[in-house]
Amino acid sequence: MIIATGITKSYRQRGNLLGGRDVRALRGVDFAIGKGGAVTFIGESGCGKTTLGRIAAGLETYDSGEIVIDGVRMSSLRHRQRQAHFRRIQLIHQDPYSALNPTRTIQQTLDAPLALRARQTGRSKAWADNRAAELLTLVGIDPGYVLPRYPHQLSGGMRQRVVIARALTVDPEVLVADESVSMIDVSLRLGILALLKDLRERLGVSVLFITHDIATARYLGDDGELYVIYRGQVVERGATETVISAPVHPYTQSLLSAIPVLRGVERPGPERVEPTEALDESHADTGCLFARRCPFRTERCESELPLLGRDGDTTQEHACFHPRRRSVIPVEVTA
Amino acid sequence: MTESSSAPGVRVRDLTVVYKTPAGELPALAGVSLTLAPGTITGLVGESGSGKSTLAFSLLNAVQPPGRRSAGSVEIDGIGDVSQLAGDDLRRVRGRQVGYVFQAAQNSLNPLKTIGKQLLDLGRSHEVADLPALVRDARALLGRMGLDGGRVLDSYQHELSGGMRQRVGIMLALVLNAHLVVLDEPTTALDMITQATILRIVQEVHRERGLTTLIVTHDMGVAAEVTDSIAVMYGGRVVEHGPTTAVLGSPRHPYTQGLIRAIPRLSGDIAEARALPGRPPTLGTMPAQGCVFRERCPERREICDSVDPAPVAVGDRRVACHAVEPAPASARVRKECA
Amino acid sequence: MTATQTATVLPAPASTPRRNFWRGVVRVLRRKPSRMAGVVILVLFAFLGVFGPMLYPSPLPRDDNALYAPPSLAHPFGTDFEGTDVLALVVTGTRYVLLAGLATAVITVALGTAIGLLAGFHRGRWDTVLMRLTDLQLTIPGLPLLLVLSTVWKFTSPLEMGVVLGVLGWGGIARAVRSQTLSLRERGFIEAARGLGLSTRHIVGRELLPSMAPYIAMNMLIAVTGAIYAQVGLFFLGVLPFDANNWGVMLNLAVFGGGALTSAAALPYLLAPLLAILLLTLGIVLVVDAMDEIFNPRLREE
Repeated sequence: MIIATGITKSYRQRGNLLGGRDVRALRGVDFAIGKGGAVTFIGESGCGKTTLGRIAAGLETYDSGEIVIDGVRMSSLRHRQRQAHFRRIQLIHQDPYSALNPTRTIQQTLDAPLALRARQTGRSKAWADNRAAELLTLVGIDPGYVLPRYPHQLSGGMRQRVVIARALTVDPEVLVADESVSMIDVSLRLGILALLKDLRERLGVSVLFITHDIATARYLGDDGELYVIYRGQVVERGATETVISAPVHPYTQSLLSAIPVLRGVERPGPERVEPTEALDESHADTGCLFARRCPFRTERCESELPLLGRDGDTTQEHACFHPRRRSVIPVEVTA
Repeated sequence: MTESSSAPGVRVRDLTVVYKTPAGELPALAGVSLTLAPGTITGLVGESGSGKSTLAFSLLNAVQPPGRRSAGSVEIDGIGDVSQLAGDDLRRVRGRQVGYVFQAAQNSLNPLKTIGKQLLDLGRSHEVADLPALVRDARALLGRMGLDGGRVLDSYQHELSGGMRQRVGIMLALVLNAHLVVLDEPTTALDMITQATILRIVQEVHRERGLTTLIVTHDMGVAAEVTDSIAVMYGGRVVEHGPTTAVLGSPRHPYTQGLIRAIPRLSGDIAEARALPGRPPTLGTMPAQGCVFRERCPERREICDSVDPAPVAVGDRRVACHAVEPAPASARVRKECA
Repeated sequence: MTATQTATVLPAPASTPRRNFWRGVVRVLRRKPSRMAGVVILVLFAFLGVFGPMLYPSPLPRDDNALYAPPSLAHPFGTDFEGTDVLALVVTGTRYVLLAGLATAVITVALGTAIGLLAGFHRGRWDTVLMRLTDLQLTIPGLPLLLVLSTVWKFTSPLEMGVVLGVLGWGGIARAVRSQTLSLRERGFIEAARGLGLSTRHIVGRELLPSMAPYIAMNMLIAVTGAIYAQVGLFFLGVLPFDANNWGVMLNLAVFGGGALTSAAALPYLLAPLLAILLLTLGIVLVVDAMDEIFNPRLREE
């Protein structure tokens, strides 16, 4: 169980000689991932979803806020102890081509963490050897074929499975999958997603899925939770199926409206929303962050910042003064 | 200028492109035939190694060694067989008549020159006499795509966002008045909202300027959103080509069916999404004879092992599969009813 | 280190695609005749370096009747001012040149790689201190310092020569290795190794270093050529003690003593060490070409 509250993070953007300006990547984000759960962060690139995933995996620091892993507050620990806790959360990189060392065989790649694991848990070396084959079988590849090979001898889909197997060597609780299928051939993507789904069910591993493709989130965890992130703020959060079928925040609606319609199978949603402007990070921070691009903005939106919360008739939380359900997603054409 | 002011048709016939490898010459395209009707948007959909980029490059006769066209022709209205052109003739055709928007336009711009300078370079290399008019056209085009033309022309590429660069790429492909445009993965690496904007712009510009457009993409959704017809490629062959709604609504080739079923969608039952078994062939693993898809095919039969299915007309479509009846399906149904 | 032991103890599967490293090296070298030529040249010089002095009596015989003799069967490159065979001088001089060159290269690469890795991997304070140190090293004017040093130190041993040249030359490699490390440590596999809790020793030794091996090997070979030029130059300038069979001293004597630039008599005397240097450099350059393929499994196995 991981609970994060009020995570903030700023980057100093390099400007001219007189110094740059601070870019607020995360503006106080809360999230929680339970055992075997599926949580998805969605948003445009630069919205902070990747930073958030890296913070969750302990690969990046944060300015303020607290992360609690299995009841232990990370701020109370020293660096080394903290790293041991963060080891329970493993990141699956987007690019399976750079995530594996090209000079090492898969055997060597898996042996290193397994040997460490064996030493920590007092198991034998034979256990480590068996475990490598076991994990590869678990992720759906033939150990006999893969173990002696170098990464360049494997296809993208196989590499991503090896990367997942490597993450499993330390028996993690959470896998952070950051756009983990975007560089894989289309016909193989669903296989990787199915594997992650399977790991959730079989091992009880939770998956933190970071993507810009909402439909894949639906496949991975229709029983999970969806966070829509915009410029470092969660603007809508709720059950994946609810947020997708009945979004209330105009930004969520714009994202959903932008998904291509499979004409012939679907027809476009009747109330598609299109932002009035393109994303511009330099927009003023006063008021609602989405106000400048929002087709439904009012004066209040430009002066006051809406906070994430729930109101009467919605089941999801949102950060909008004028929430309204709109049917924006494509509708299936029934033959 | 009259023949180039209308949308040209394109006829690719039996095109074979081979790549020289240590294992001998292997075909990236194996006798591909494809017709682009004038004034339409065609989507060329395929995975990596399907030969879609090689086919797109062939339209400009720009296949690079170790690749080589070994057979077939590429006829473009108003130009003739592009595969016979060379040198200055070929250079003039590229840009003037065939515009090409490169994959990830972010990398095809020179980082050391402003967009305007690159535009002038383009004009000069194509001996444009009236450069101020060229700049005016460029500014109008950028304005049409929702950008501040003057500002963009004064910018360096790093000052532009991904979506803006993609629009600059489209402008550079169209500014010399090309009427055949090839877009190679136009929205890869762009965000959903930006992708939707670019696709809308592509569609609008296509209609307003009377173009013939080819969109090369791995993403069925992109093709579904904007195209009139879809050509699905697999293992160096066009396995299915037909009107977009028909191909998506009732795919005939088992690969097309599998590909569409493998797309997670927002509507319908998500549990119906199925992964395609196996993996796409590469140049080295392509079977030498028989159907290239048979290893992954649910409808595999004996003949598939030995005979490579030729594309046959099925209604308004062309499908290359032994499991598909060549006679127009609708006609057969009617006969049975009668 | 258990990781590597497991890897070697495990019996390789019957049809292993991962072939023996050295067999891969041979395959890479055979791909181009030029590489084989380079190897042959280097082997020849190595042979001369080891056995050269044993091929001739010591001290080398002189022939007072044949000073600056023209090339002949007995003396392929003629004789020097004392009537000693020039070829014998070149051959017996190989050992010093090679040893000094190798020592320089080893010290340069070891120091440069260690400092570059440390600075690039730890960043922060380590980086600042080490990089200032590197800047300092790079600003030391090498030649004047060597001139001064040579007045007090006679460099009779090639290893002393190598140590001095090495200590004066690691800065460039340190910089380069640091920037390589900085870019590699952002790669997914290094990040994954840290995320899995693998030790720094493992990450640096097993993940980072092998990825930089072609680069380091190339730098090492190039450092050998640089070191050879440097020491030959020093001897040529005459700042170092006289030693008849040193290539640099031979050049010096041919030019200033024999007047090789004006008269033809001493020309073979001048050309012999020059050719030796050129040949050795050529051998190294031809082999450097193969480094990338040797250390990159993808290029090696193909």
